[in-house]
Amino acid sequence: MGAKAGVGALGLVLLAILVFLAVSSWSRQPAGAKPSIQPIRFPHSVHVQTYKIDCQYCHSDARRSEYAGLPSVQRCMGCHRIAGAALPEVKKVADYYARGEPIPWVRVNKLPEFTYFPHKAHIRASVTCQTCHGPVETMMTFGAETGPRLTNDLLTLVGLRPAPPPLTMGWCLDCHRRQNATAGAHAPLDCVTCHH
Amino acid sequence: MNRRDFFRVVTASGATAAVTGCQRTAENILPLVVPNEQLVPGVAAWFATVCRECPAGCGVIAKNREGRVVKLEGNPDHPVSQGALCARGQAALQGLYHPDRFAGPLLRDGATLTPASWDAAQKVVADKIAALRSAGKGQAIALVTQLETSSLGALLDKWTQVLGTRPRVTFEPFGYEATRAANRATFGRDAIPHYAFEDAQVVLSFGADFLETWLSNVSYARAFARMHAFRDGRAGTFIHIEPRQSLTASNADAWVRNAPGTEGLLALAILRVMVDAGLADRRFAEVVTGINVKKAAADSDVPVETIRHVAEVFAHGKPGLAVGGGMAVTGTNATPTLVAINLLNLAAGNVGKTVRFGPDSGFGKVTPYAEVARLIQAMVRGEIEVLLLGSGVNPAYTLPGGLRFTDALKKVGLVVSFANQPDETTALAHVVLPDTHWLESWGDYAPREGVVGLMQPTTAPVRDSRPIGDTVLAMGRAVLGSEEGKGPLPWATLEQYLKVAWAPVVKDEWAAALRLGGVWKETAPVAVNARVAPVDAAPPTLEGDADGLTLLAYPSFRFYDGRGASRAWLQETPDTMTQAVWDPWVEIAVETAAKLGIAQGDVVRLTSPYGSIELPAYVSPTLHPRAVAVPIGHRYAPYHTPRYVTAPAGSRNPVALLGAAAESASGGPAYLGVRVRLAKTGARRPLAILQATHDQQGRELAQHVDLGAAREQALRGKPEHEEYFSMYPDQKYPGYRWGMAIDVDACVGCQACVVACQAENNVPIVGRAQAAYGRQLQWIRIERWAEGNPGHPTNLFLPMLCQHCEVAPCEPVCPVFAAYRTEEGLNGQVYNRCVGTRYCGNNCPYHVRRFNWFQYEFPAPLDVQLNPDVTVRQLGVMEKCTMCIQRIIAGKDHARDAKRAVRDGDILTACQQTCPTRAITFGNLKDAQSAMVRFAHSSRAYHVLEEIGTRPSVTYLKKVVREHA
Repeated sequence: MGAKAGVGALGLVLLAILVFLAVSSWSRQPAGAKPSIQPIRFPHSVHVQTYKIDCQYCHSDARRSEYAGLPSVQRCMGCHRIAGAALPEVKKVADYYARGEPIPWVRVNKLPEFTYFPHKAHIRASVTCQTCHGPVETMMTFGAETGPRLTNDLLTLVGLRPAPPPLTMGWCLDCHRRQNATAGAHAPLDCVTCHH
Repeated sequence: MNRRDFFRVVTASGATAAVTGCQRTAENILPLVVPNEQLVPGVAAWFATVCRECPAGCGVIAKNREGRVVKLEGNPDHPVSQGALCARGQAALQGLYHPDRFAGPLLRDGATLTPASWDAAQKVVADKIAALRSAGKGQAIALVTQLETSSLGALLDKWTQVLGTRPRVTFEPFGYEATRAANRATFGRDAIPHYAFEDAQVVLSFGADFLETWLSNVSYARAFARMHAFRDGRAGTFIHIEPRQSLTASNADAWVRNAPGTEGLLALAILRVMVDAGLADRRFAEVVTGINVKKAAADSDVPVETIRHVAEVFAHGKPGLAVGGGMAVTGTNATPTLVAINLLNLAAGNVGKTVRFGPDSGFGKVTPYAEVARLIQAMVRGEIEVLLLGSGVNPAYTLPGGLRFTDALKKVGLVVSFANQPDETTALAHVVLPDTHWLESWGDYAPREGVVGLMQPTTAPVRDSRPIGDTVLAMGRAVLGSEEGKGPLPWATLEQYLKVAWAPVVKDEWAAALRLGGVWKETAPVAVNARVAPVDAAPPTLEGDADGLTLLAYPSFRFYDGRGASRAWLQETPDTMTQAVWDPWVEIAVETAAKLGIAQGDVVRLTSPYGSIELPAYVSPTLHPRAVAVPIGHRYAPYHTPRYVTAPAGSRNPVALLGAAAESASGGPAYLGVRVRLAKTGARRPLAILQATHDQQGRELAQHVDLGAAREQALRGKPEHEEYFSMYPDQKYPGYRWGMAIDVDACVGCQACVVACQAENNVPIVGRAQAAYGRQLQWIRIERWAEGNPGHPTNLFLPMLCQHCEVAPCEPVCPVFAAYRTEEGLNGQVYNRCVGTRYCGNNCPYHVRRFNWFQYEFPAPLDVQLNPDVTVRQLGVMEKCTMCIQRIIAGKDHARDAKRAVRDGDILTACQQTCPTRAITFGNLKDAQSAMVRFAHSSRAYHVLEEIGTRPSVTYLKKVVREHA
């Protein structure tokens, strides 16, 4: 009886943990982080690792604006007029350009609308893109499994693969505090810096 | 259900929740196909243009974010506005994104206007004009526009010449005809000079509401502050003569209440006293020989001692400045009155010093009202078959009721309106060809000689509208059968015409001129020869019952002639004197109200020989008992009703009560022309008044100091006063410490800051009923506090906003830490934490916290104007002034880019930026170089409710009261 009750209690505890994780990761889920199919299968890994293109070559507004920005279709075509012009996915880019239409990329990283995150200040402070966005340079598809999803939480729990950073407020503040304590930085901790 | 089933269900539902989540649909990011190098998403681009909300022509810069204009500010380089903007200018954005804007051209189909294509609508007009021309009836075509002083005006004049129509009529309801006529009589110059308020020691105003609408209110308010505000022991004197205590009057050191229409009499009596006292040249003696000061005093209800005192103060001001204007000076004696004021300026030696001919006002190009009236008479006779009405012109609302414009319009075969939003005139038009808003247009505007502002599109057209210049050029060519590039009207667009016209002026510097906002040069004053002759400034003749009350119909400083009234921001901005929002009122003197048994909020019918209107009563202790006053310009846009306010049936426009006759000497309209009879209707419509009392009850919220004491303190420093004792340690500020100083002496109560804040911080509109409950949301308000004799009070204007207290009563009562003290001395409010208990609002002694009682809407496309840097608050959230935290962050970012600390000028709050009198200063209290620190240690500095120990970050400077005035 004693053993059976112990197993039952253990089962109950495990279930409670599972339910808690499920609910907590669901509740912390940033809106829009659902894995979605991008209109073009864009491989970051090929651009960054194979061709050594700097992040800011395409996301060129990051250093001067609150938004990192996406490259204009014209900028894509700057290379792809020649490079890889025959590839089917690149042809899609050329089609958008020929039609004069923007590529309807699906948003991956989104903070709540009451949060103001300026890329510019972080670039100025020499924060790497990977600090927040994870190892994008290794990804074939970006936008799949970011953020506090159940699978990510479970995988992190068992130490199988590092989840991309969750982009939650606690995570932001941890980094700001760490920087202030160790690197002598002046990362702001005031609520109204981001919430106004 | 057994235990196993229960677990199965729980696990399954948990997993489902984890998998599906509660996610929004995917959001797309659309990059530009071809990038625009000028526009970086997230970074504002600024475009200089000219404000056309009234004919003053202030320079503005428009903040464009992601292709849409979100904020307007005064252009600091422009000589008229010098960086400031009034409430009407700030609210222009609501005209741009007006929900009622016409979606495209309209053609009348029976009782309604139906959408049409541009080609079809233009063809209707062009065919009619062509038919009239071939029949030799070019004179049956009339074009009426608002004041266009430069290229557009020239182009339209060319158009009328080429097509052989009547000459263009420039119609402005407030055209200053009498000023021009008086200057013709005295100086032989048909012009309106530039008044150098800043150089005057004493300003004597006869009804000129130069802080509200008169000529160029922003520029004159700026100049007035320089002349009048207390600086280093010096301060000018301002005396105002008007039957009503207007906003301008309440800024005077001495307000003299006269009987309506007696301004000329008083001017001559003052001159007489000056001559008698040897304070004026003997040659003026012959002008005033017939003037009996005692009789003038009796006729004007102004004591003889006051007249003597005013004369003495005025004569001793070297130089002084006498100005006349406003609606009280438009009666049948308007020109003689203004001639008398000219004589005062001559006698005091002000002409050439503070009265400068040369840099003449653009108002001089307005067609006198008498000619407009002649056009209406021609319409009645059926001589006009095509009437083209430019945008900004709404004669069905602004012309005196006695002219019967609506009836005259019915005799016109084809009425074409270029207005881009519905008004009383478009309701009667046959064709509507919507003009672009001025923020979408090319153009130029010369507010005075030597200053030409350039206008450029600051955003793509919000609706399918075309510039009036382009439309008339296309129609003109269709009439002439000529092609683009050929014939007498070769220009494809107004833009092309403008560039051709400007080419010789700017040469290769076009881009630089656009960036600056125009071209200006100093225009030297020209000498004028004055003619000194006696003038008869008898009281005006008034129509209506002899025992009726004189109607004072005056332009509202919020709505001008009604142009501004479609902007909900202005409707919800209180009139500073009455603190009323939305509804218009009739101001009735206490004595009259008591006699007729009228209480505040009673609906009263005003009847003149030309019509009647019904308005709720505002009982005023200050108004002259023989007068009633009604503001002009209160009308509602279609989207206001019933969303924000219910509109009663019937007219509430005081202009409808006026007669058609023009003043004979000048041809100007007589806004002071009728007596009205009052009658209670029995109905009630209480006014939505935001301030319950104007009595401070000894709380000393708005403080003042005598000029003598202020001088002494400025010299010797403020007497030490005991610091309030605290048992807590002082707060530490590791970096900046923000603070604000507000000079109560400089504040004129113009409400520009209120609208600027509303635009900057996404403050919604609550509507009349909610405002009456005290649920307005503006983060800053102008309190009016009246002191002394209620019939003749001294008014103090106190801009009240979050005081950002160091010991803030709002903070400890918040159960969720939504209100907290930042490290930089601000009182932060975190919307995403707030749960809406409203404890903070209840505990705030300054009553500056605002609660979102409802989910307020921003009717499309007004939502496009929202500032992307500021959260749009939702239902159940408390909000308040943040000292423009988004601007502080931007300023710090800018300074960090330059690798330095923030200094004065890096950060301007929205209220500070727009203030015409520079009453508001924002800065770092820890920077010894900052102007803010100087103000904080000024001998006039005080804190509101200092005794409760909140230690506010906002410092006020006491108003300086001139005991000698």
